[in-house]
Amino acid sequence: MTDLPASSAGSATGVSEPATRATEKPMRERLVRLADHFKREWQIYVMLAPMIIWFLLFLYKPMYGLQIAFKDYSIFRGIVESPWVGWEHFETLFNNSQFLRAVKNTVIISALSLIFGFPVPIFLALMFNEILHALYRRTCQTIVYLPHFISTVIIAGIVITAFSPSAGIVNTIIGWLGIEPVYFLTKPEWFRPIFIGSGIWQEAGFSSIIFLAAIAGVNPSLYESAVVDGASRWQMMWKITIPSIMPTIIIMLIIRIGNLMEVGFELIILLYQPATYQTADVINTFIYRQGLQSGQYDLAAAAGLFNAVVAFVLVMTANSISKRVSRTSLW
Amino acid sequence: MSAVVLKDIYKRFGAVQVVHGINLDVAAHEFVVLVGPSGCGKSTTLRMIAGLEEISEGSLTIDDRAMNRVAPKDRDVAMVFQNYALYPHLNVADNIAFGLRIRRMKKDVIARSIIEVAEILGLTEYLDRRPADLSGGQRQRVAMGRAIVRHPKVFLFDEPLSNLDAKLRAQMRAEIRRLHNRLGVTSIYVTHDQVEAMTLADRIVVMNDGRIEQVGTPMDLFMNPVSTFVAGFIGSPPMNQFTGTLESDAEGASVTIGGARISLPDTVPSDPGRDVIIGIRPEYVSLAAGEASSPVAIKLDLVEPLGSEALLHAAIGEDPFIIKAETFGDVSHLSGLTEVHVPAAMVKVFDAATGRVLNRAAG
Ligand SMILES: Nc1ncnc2c1ncn2[C@@H]1O[C@H](COP(=O)(O)OP(=O)(O)OP(=O)(O)O)[C@@H](O)[C@H]1O
Ligand SMILES: [Mg+2]
Repeated sequence: MTDLPASSAGSATGVSEPATRATEKPMRERLVRLADHFKREWQIYVMLAPMIIWFLLFLYKPMYGLQIAFKDYSIFRGIVESPWVGWEHFETLFNNSQFLRAVKNTVIISALSLIFGFPVPIFLALMFNEILHALYRRTCQTIVYLPHFISTVIIAGIVITAFSPSAGIVNTIIGWLGIEPVYFLTKPEWFRPIFIGSGIWQEAGFSSIIFLAAIAGVNPSLYESAVVDGASRWQMMWKITIPSIMPTIIIMLIIRIGNLMEVGFELIILLYQPATYQTADVINTFIYRQGLQSGQYDLAAAAGLFNAVVAFVLVMTANSISKRVSRTSLW
Repeated sequence: MSAVVLKDIYKRFGAVQVVHGINLDVAAHEFVVLVGPSGCGKSTTLRMIAGLEEISEGSLTIDDRAMNRVAPKDRDVAMVFQNYALYPHLNVADNIAFGLRIRRMKKDVIARSIIEVAEILGLTEYLDRRPADLSGGQRQRVAMGRAIVRHPKVFLFDEPLSNLDAKLRAQMRAEIRRLHNRLGVTSIYVTHDQVEAMTLADRIVVMNDGRIEQVGTPMDLFMNPVSTFVAGFIGSPPMNQFTGTLESDAEGASVTIGGARISLPDTVPSDPGRDVIIGIRPEYVSLAAGEASSPVAIKLDLVEPLGSEALLHAAIGEDPFIIKAETFGDVSHLSGLTEVHVPAAMVKVFDAATGRVLNRAAG
């Protein structure tokens, strides 16, 4: 994932800058300037190097393999030797009802977890901010941060146990109300609420940290000034805190929208069963089954490329809308 | 009638006491400046008046109403902060209107108030701008506007000019004083800049280490500092101070500094052998001999021309001695200076042990 610019948490002025007009300078002059800069500030470039190498190695080099999305790939012939087939794999995909179902599920699950999941950390951060008692506040924070540190496998285990028809706490409770036990994890209509709910439970607390940091960056004299002006805590929350952290909220939202196609598929793989594929199978789990289990690497690469292109378009759109509407943007 | 009365005010943060009993009456329409070195408790005192800090002990009344337990919003005070505390996401008009909106005033009243205040402060053309797009002086004015618009009983200022450059500070200082002359709202103003204190105040309160050292008009503090602390704080450059021992002979009281006998005013109690500190203002040293003045030999080290005046960095014996002299358009006559004259009437005498003045009534 993209690294957040550290300043975005505190500063209200946004992160984007008007594009400089350097492009109009002759190329030579710019190269000379770059060389000068390198000579003067080489330490900075040395510090930058590991990150650049990491990007090249793990993000750009694998892109070379993307071409198999357009080839009839076989591991024996290798990437270069495999013959080109054009858009064939994409045609196959879009005639595959399972793939279309996966696209639909991806969009639905993402959209729902964005709608229900995105506001929760903000809400938590605002609530923590209102707790004045330090010890009580720290205790609450620790409790909601904890699930983040539990491995996804264990989270899945907890979810499966909690919703188990025989011993699960959920069925025990609805049992008290006289309702028959339900085997939730085999019911397609229950998969999305359970998946989204457990996602929120796992990550909302931890994600609230970035908003808490943004709140901590708000100039305290804004609040003092508001107190003298007669604002209540509620008014201060609405008129100072939320507008002040709006740039952070927007940047987080852009990132989330960019990752819209990126459903946390480990948890899905751990929770879904053929009985719930109908609502649970997303593009990434589809890729996993096609690519790794059935060995159709080229088809899986095509699905992955499709996913990436959609995600790219989404980030670009979100960013430019935000830039225009709120003067805040990632770049 | 006193607008703001502080009576035996103490402030403790946990076990640490930072304000040790302050008594102060601020008259209605008065402009009072709290001045003192960093950390002396000026802001803390101001914040107790605003209600942002709880008063540990003592009583605060505004317009004869006890305020200790009254919420800040009900004290009818407005505060201007050092960093302006403008809302970055609101434009100038909305910043000014913030306090009124919070109080749910009528829309047309708010609109009228914004226009009126913008006019007073010369902000009319900037009403649509965000604080980030304003200069320091304009931001400062918006902060003032937020205070003015509420028509409070008392204005509180906490170093409102310290983020501005020297020129703008001088300009805004005059503007604040003009505004006070026009609106007449009781004001309490905190600064550590003695020039600001002198120029703005009806009365200055000099604070030191959580206590009030002296209260008085600017000229009163300048002419009659009650202690070496005030003498060293008010005036620029500050009063020269020398330690010595009181002597007494037929010509009256004197002190010998670096071999020079300096006559003291006859208001100094005769007490030969007493250890004292004498204070001589740089402005009251004359280059020519005068009646009842003592000649003093100096070693001139440096002449700093300021224009109409020059600062002479000199020494009596080993003690540094700063003199402010008129240049009359030329500093060459100052460079060879070896002797100056100290008029007896202008010398302040302080007790060396307590730092308290011994000849309060004089001069
Ligand atoms: N919240 C606090 N907790 C503990 N001590 C504090 C607190 N606020 C202020 N103090 C202490 O009280 C003393 C007075 O602080 P105050 O801010 O009033 O000084 P000041 O005169 O305004 O100084 P400055 O000119 O630097 O603003 C300082 O020694 C400071 O360390
Ligand atoms: Mg202060």
